[in-house]
Amino acid sequence: MKQKSQIASRKRRTTLTLPVDALGQAERIARARHVNLSVVVAEALASGLRIERAREHSAQVVRDYQEAFRGFNDEEMMILDGILPETRKR
Amino acid sequence: MIDPAWGPFLFDTSAESWLARTTQASAQEWFRRYAEQFPVHISAVTVMERTRGYALLWRRESGERRRRIESARTVYLRTLGQVWPVDAAVAMVAGEIMALLPQPPTPTKRSHKFMEARQERFSRWRCDTMIAATALVMRMPLVHNNAGDFEAIRSAIEIDPSRFPGLGPLDLVRCGALA
Repeated sequence: MKQKSQIASRKRRTTLTLPVDALGQAERIARARHVNLSVVVAEALASGLRIERAREHSAQVVRDYQEAFRGFNDEEMMILDGILPETRKR
Repeated sequence: MIDPAWGPFLFDTSAESWLARTTQASAQEWFRRYAEQFPVHISAVTVMERTRGYALLWRRESGERRRRIESARTVYLRTLGQVWPVDAAVAMVAGEIMALLPQPPTPTKRSHKFMEARQERFSRWRCDTMIAATALVMRMPLVHNNAGDFEAIRSAIEIDPSRFPGLGPLDLVRCGALA
């Protein structure tokens, strides 16, 4: 119960301007599920934020990988890939 | 084209760096979409090969170049996703593969300037068997950039599946086929 009240205390009332179509869909979902509109909007927002976080994370992973392998020539890349070339004797 | 959602995939050492360095826009986009859904799965063997590579380059350089290599190494280690250990199951499967194919199926790497030592080729072959064994045990498709070696492992397992009960086939995806 304590946890529930803590979650409740983290909510904040605000005023949003939302697209009519999206709001209409959210209202239909809320009626069908017998929950209030705030629940549906909060779920949709949480889901959208999850997707955005995943996008940011993935962009960071790709940037970091590029950084980890930037500026190496072909021979150095072979070494980084576990291939150890020796200079050929003339 | 391979849908990233079919993952997770295990990435071979050379596949991991291929994805990081590709200039092909579709492959870059594939990697970005994959990383949205899954961590980059690799074997601890890849971490070993890579770390040895960074360390060897670091040792032969000095000054700014050395700092740059150390920085790249740090970024690489920070970026690691899911690293699979060589545990008892992986070791057993790798041992079976090594017994099936005691010799590397492809020759040493060589160019007009460089040649891979025979001892090194054996060592790298053993690393490849451990990576393939990890993919088999974890039941993940293996993304690779080394068709010669991994196709040989796949064929050998198909010819003699009795030593790999409940495992296989080794599912392989070439880097070039991803996007």
